[in-house]
Amino acid sequence: MVKPIILCLVLVSGVFAQDAYERHCVECHKELPTSLQRMFMRYLLVYSGEQNVKAGLKHYLKYPLKEISVMSDLFIDTYGIKEKTKLSDSDIDEALDIYWDKFKVFNKLK
Amino acid sequence: MLSDQRAMLTKYAYIQTKRLKVLHHFFDERTEYPRDPRFKSAIYDLEHMKIFSLLEDENVHFDDEEIYISNNHIHLVKTLDDFYLGTKYLIIEVEDSGAWRGEIWKNIIGYGFFAFIFFLLFGLYLAKLFLRPMRDSIVLLDRFIKDTTHELNTPLSAILANIEMMDTNVMVEKNKTKLARINIAAKTVSVLYKDLTYLTLEQEKENHDEEIEIKELIYNRAEYFAVLAQSKHIECNLDLEEASITMDRRKLTRVIDNLISNAIKYNKRNGTVGIQLREGMLVILDTGIGINEEKLPFMFDRYMRFNDSEGGFGVGLSIVKEILDEYHISIEVESKEGEGTRMVLRW
Repeated sequence: MVKPIILCLVLVSGVFAQDAYERHCVECHKELPTSLQRMFMRYLLVYSGEQNVKAGLKHYLKYPLKEISVMSDLFIDTYGIKEKTKLSDSDIDEALDIYWDKFKVFNKLK
Repeated sequence: MLSDQRAMLTKYAYIQTKRLKVLHHFFDERTEYPRDPRFKSAIYDLEHMKIFSLLEDENVHFDDEEIYISNNHIHLVKTLDDFYLGTKYLIIEVEDSGAWRGEIWKNIIGYGFFAFIFFLLFGLYLAKLFLRPMRDSIVLLDRFIKDTTHELNTPLSAILANIEMMDTNVMVEKNKTKLARINIAAKTVSVLYKDLTYLTLEQEKENHDEEIEIKELIYNRAEYFAVLAQSKHIECNLDLEEASITMDRRKLTRVIDNLISNAIKYNKRNGTVGIQLREGMLVILDTGIGINEEKLPFMFDRYMRFNDSEGGFGVGLSIVKEILDEYHISIEVESKEGEGTRMVLRW
């Protein structure tokens, strides 16, 4: 009786141990050939600053369109564009904050 | 110049942009910011957040000009079109040695000097070109006056000499008066003639300074103008003491002639002309029409005439002033309109 409870707790804690970014982004992007790091650099190339990058990303997540995608035509033609997100604004913001902190260039250059 | 620095810094910015592009594509396997011994640089994002900086002077102005000097450093703020590593603003910094300022001054002085010489020569050429007709006409007028005054001398001398020689005792009273008038007219013209010849011919002649007994000279000149004074029933009061001055006789004569003839010309009928001579001082006073106080400062200007009742060119007093200035003789004029004028010469 104790074993299944422990197993459940481990599983549940495992799910909750993952942050919003890992839960909502990494899962799907794992299957794509371009890393989230490369995609981040593409966003950086177009949007520059933190607020601008986050706003651009959020807009694309909510209203994905081929015309406003930062990815190459070849990529879009091969993998298509994503579906509209079903996440709440706060979930998106949380995930984007983590995404930014993970890949931002600040303090990484030497 | 700062524009030369701008060209150099723009070239550096171009080089650094290419390096950032490469770094962007290899981030984050490569994280070493590109460095260059020729300049320092920094990158800022759209929100003016510093991404990375090697600047010595971190005081960056984003909204001012593209290039500026701050704390002995020149900054070039280059805006990128592609935001490599998120870079919107690339700052290139070099030390401001001030050498370019020296270069500027050298250029300004060098080119300025040549420009100045060029414009000076050009200006002289233009002035000469434009002034030629005026100069020609002045030379023509001058020559005309010289010729005419010279031609006037002979007939005038003949008239004056013949008047002197005439025997007035055998004349009837009516003719005597007429002769006196001719004498006055001839003497007036003579004074005018002498003024004009002084201006045109004798002015540049060398001075023959000598010790002159002024008393004697004044007697002579007063006698010369006596006929003129008599015609207006003017009384001449001479109060002369011995006095002398070292001067060109010709010039002193012009001064005395002009002052006495003015005192007579602008006097009232039955007026008085007084001449006082002391050592170092000559006073000539009249009871004439006087001069307005406001006009006094202009009375020695050439061609300045306050009264058209008498003939003349308005050159007399300007000649007087010129001669007095040459010999450092002061002249003081006291005048009251309608009451008379008092001129005091001191040397």
